[in-house]
Amino acid sequence: MAPLTGKRVFSIMALCMMVGLLLLPIVIALPSPAIGEEAPAGDTAKKDGDKVEKGRDVYYKTEGIVVGAPAPKTTDGPKDYPRYNFESRVLIWFANQQHLYYGSFVLAVPIFCMIIEFMGVVTKDKALAKRYDQLAYDFIKISLTAYSLTAILGGILIFTFLTLYPAFFGYLSSIFRPVMHIYALMFVAESGTLYIYYYGWDKMKEGFLKWIHLSMSVVLNIIGTLLMFLANSWIGFMMSPAGVDEQGRYLGNIWHVIHTALWNPLNLHRILGNMAFGGGVVAAYAAYKFLAAKTDEDRAHYDWMGYIAMALGVAFLIPLPFAGYWLMREVYAYRQQMGITLMGGLLAWLFIIQATMIGILFLSSNYYLWQAMGRMRGAEKYQRYIKYLVFLLICGFLVFITPHTMVMTPAELKAMGGQQHPVLGNFGVMSAKNGGINVMITTTVLSFIWYMRGNKVSTVSWAKFGNIFMGVFFACAYINIIWLAIYGYYIPANVRVGLSVPQVATTLSCLFFMFALNSVMMRGAKQMGPIEWGKISVRSQYALIMLSTAFTWMMALMGYIRSSVRLFWHVNEIMRDNSPWAYTHTVGFAANMISFNVLFFWISILFVFWMGSLSAKKVPVEARAGIPGGVPQPAPAAGH
Amino acid sequence: MGNLIAETLSSSWMALAILAGLMVYFQVSISDPAAKKRAVFKTFIGIVSCFFLFMAIVNYKTNFYGESRLLPVSLVTITVTTFVMALYFTNLSAMLKVGGFMFFVAAFLSGYGNWLPQVEGGFPPVEEKKTWDSMSSQQLADEGEKIIFGGVGKNKEQGAIGKGQCPLCHAFHAGMLGERAPNLLGLPTRGKERLDDPKYSKGNPSKREYEVKEAFAGSGTAENSQEYIAESHACPSCYVVSGYGVKGTNDKQSPMPAIHKPPISLSLQELAAVDTWMYVREGIEPPPFEEIVKSYEKFIPEADRPKMAEDKPAGATSLMADGSEPVDQIFAKAQCVSCHTIPGIPGAMGTIGPKLEEGTTAAQRIKDPTYKGTAKSPAEYIMESIVDPSAYVVKPFPDNTMPKVFGQKLSAGALKKIVDYLSQVKAGAPPPKIS
Repeated sequence: MAPLTGKRVFSIMALCMMVGLLLLPIVIALPSPAIGEEAPAGDTAKKDGDKVEKGRDVYYKTEGIVVGAPAPKTTDGPKDYPRYNFESRVLIWFANQQHLYYGSFVLAVPIFCMIIEFMGVVTKDKALAKRYDQLAYDFIKISLTAYSLTAILGGILIFTFLTLYPAFFGYLSSIFRPVMHIYALMFVAESGTLYIYYYGWDKMKEGFLKWIHLSMSVVLNIIGTLLMFLANSWIGFMMSPAGVDEQGRYLGNIWHVIHTALWNPLNLHRILGNMAFGGGVVAAYAAYKFLAAKTDEDRAHYDWMGYIAMALGVAFLIPLPFAGYWLMREVYAYRQQMGITLMGGLLAWLFIIQATMIGILFLSSNYYLWQAMGRMRGAEKYQRYIKYLVFLLICGFLVFITPHTMVMTPAELKAMGGQQHPVLGNFGVMSAKNGGINVMITTTVLSFIWYMRGNKVSTVSWAKFGNIFMGVFFACAYINIIWLAIYGYYIPANVRVGLSVPQVATTLSCLFFMFALNSVMMRGAKQMGPIEWGKISVRSQYALIMLSTAFTWMMALMGYIRSSVRLFWHVNEIMRDNSPWAYTHTVGFAANMISFNVLFFWISILFVFWMGSLSAKKVPVEARAGIPGGVPQPAPAAGH
Repeated sequence: MGNLIAETLSSSWMALAILAGLMVYFQVSISDPAAKKRAVFKTFIGIVSCFFLFMAIVNYKTNFYGESRLLPVSLVTITVTTFVMALYFTNLSAMLKVGGFMFFVAAFLSGYGNWLPQVEGGFPPVEEKKTWDSMSSQQLADEGEKIIFGGVGKNKEQGAIGKGQCPLCHAFHAGMLGERAPNLLGLPTRGKERLDDPKYSKGNPSKREYEVKEAFAGSGTAENSQEYIAESHACPSCYVVSGYGVKGTNDKQSPMPAIHKPPISLSLQELAAVDTWMYVREGIEPPPFEEIVKSYEKFIPEADRPKMAEDKPAGATSLMADGSEPVDQIFAKAQCVSCHTIPGIPGAMGTIGPKLEEGTTAAQRIKDPTYKGTAKSPAEYIMESIVDPSAYVVKPFPDNTMPKVFGQKLSAGALKKIVDYLSQVKAGAPPPKIS
């Protein structure tokens, strides 16, 4: 065992400190739920003897001692809704969305860095390992600048809330009071850990110390994720309140308040969404630098960076629809009307936009992969088949975006001759849509596999059998998905819902088994030529920008949908919104607002990138060395 | 367009003046003719781009609150501007192109959002005070139909839905499949069958296998059909019809919310009206109003009963008129009288828009070859002119003068009154009676 040097002791201490920071809020939090945070009211209750008032939890249906005040009944006026000469809801929408973008970015980038740093640690190729390490470092640096902006935006958000919605914010903070200090401490822990992680990078770059450093990123991400879970509990409470009685009085169990019906699905959906979004932002950055690059070396580096970011982003995009499906299922289970308002009522057109966006995301990522095949010799053999993939994607896309039940005016209803279109309405049912999206995901998996084997020829003895098996597997997968989609028309709805399971299972089988099989087949494969990083069309970079802009747009859209589904409730069924803005905007207004938010975010993030480039460090010369054998040969990182 | 250019000039004149000054400066300060030509040309491009940029901003600003579908045009203009600038300002080329492309994507998506049918979620309906106990059965049934379907006679209309939200899940007519909840046809007579179902456990709620045994402690079970209906509204999980339970609960829990609680919050009187409609539409004599209310009181404790309209916090409304007013007041409240001359309406002498004699003119305008709207009848034409004034603009009046917000600012009832009145106004004939 290596002797404990001063550096080592320091590193271990730093790691322990991080774990301590992580545990601190939890330790502080423990007494709160245990005693039920009934301090002031509890005392009063004891004094009053028998006068202890009990309430029934609106969600858990358990009884608890009332320890909070009822939700305020607001009225439209300067007391509950003070305002500037502008729609307060739009202001809060803007502040919230910007904070959320940055929050997602600074939570996603460390996960990203952790993965890339890990890839660097386990990669045997030294030059490539350095490159991965440098990439991770570059991004944590950008995240640092974005971190302070996130904090500023968080401050702005709180001030906006306090100024424009004091009664509502007061109520929410009274409910979450038992964990407010933990929330604040988590921020301290996150900042402390991030700084130690960042400033310890150069000092801990070899051997055991590197592993300690990598462990720090794990701790950092655990803190970040917990922080996000806590933030999610607020929105979860607003959508599906628990832990309070019908009047909104807190019943002393903070875990019930946090662990609402939609909390867990929201958590999962947001983690995956953040990752896809983080990948998108990094990919856009790489695309921008690629387009601005003056040398082949730079182009090669940013081409590689864009590819890695896109691959990671898409890796998280693929399971996202399934997480969304779970969230929706839970919404329906919680309140059927809420689900119907979302999918077949007032907000249904927004889901049509969402379906279009999902289509755009999959089409863009596939397009990028097809373009990327152009930079490797040997991939030409797949080019002639791409048209069939385009056909499959377009068919899946068209079925996926076809609406079924929509809110219509009587004139529209009359013109169409019913609530469903006589022909197209048949495609809009869930059965067909599930088929459509699964065809799209399976096609994306196929594109990825073609890309991965583009410049390689398998040398394993069973290569021919393997290829045939893969072909048959994919063919069967398509047949199964499409057949189940058709079969769904002939069975009752409650049975039909169950069909999504084998459809998803088929898609996931393609993803996992075919990737695994392909990797085994390509082990020691013959190279037709190296991947010529940088020799990719400019169009491909626009596909990346399209991908990232669409990610950002979709995030804002889904956030808007999630928030609007409460309709005229601040806290669903507990605290009513009596402001003059208790109505839902039109789709067009929402789309314009979303575009504004998206563009504002991108303009500000460009500023962050620019700030990051000001302190860009020179990369060691050896990192420039080319890497033979199809592995990336990018140029140095930002700043050259 | 003229207005837009004028406003653009007034906003951008300083920036344009600086650029023009810069052009003059290059003209006199650069001696190399090639460099001079290049600099002047670039500045010229800058001026044009700057003008377009400001035009886009002005358009955005002007249309931010309207339902104008021109808004995305701004974004496209910005995109074109950035790409043009990228051609000439090569050092910033990548940034301009990336930014421009992002603007384009946003423009496309905004445009798409604006192109889709515009649905706006209105405010929760304003509660009106009703004297329930003096209503006849038919009047109560009509109120019930309004609560369920949103209007009298709407029960067979697809997609019709009222405050009670029942048709979201239930079907009401023979042959219609309710996938989420039972078809309610025959409910008044079916109640007895349910009471006889051993699973219902009449008179002995503790033996029930459902998630909730009683509506509240001591409420007991229903003794007759009406009480069964009341109990199923007040406590849907006290008895769940087989096959309609929450998935995974083995029909032990119902997905239906308690109707007297938020978000639906029907009062006991409203529930009685709903039930009355269920009886009346099947030709069955409904129980007296008081008896129905009493059946609900059995299952809804005093504290849980929704308060009557006057006790509720005032819901905000942005409607100019809710339709309860006479038509002349609606015209006045919506300010139609300021711009239009409307025969028969006192004070309606405006000349900014055309004189409204739609009983004569609407049919003529639909036949006009330049008419591009979708109306097929005078009533549809009038409605279209109110909610979408640009669909057909009467010559020589300019477009975009009339606000496009009346679709949102007037209730359906108010719009209907306007349409009814205007379609009776004929040129040369005495004005219709105000109702």
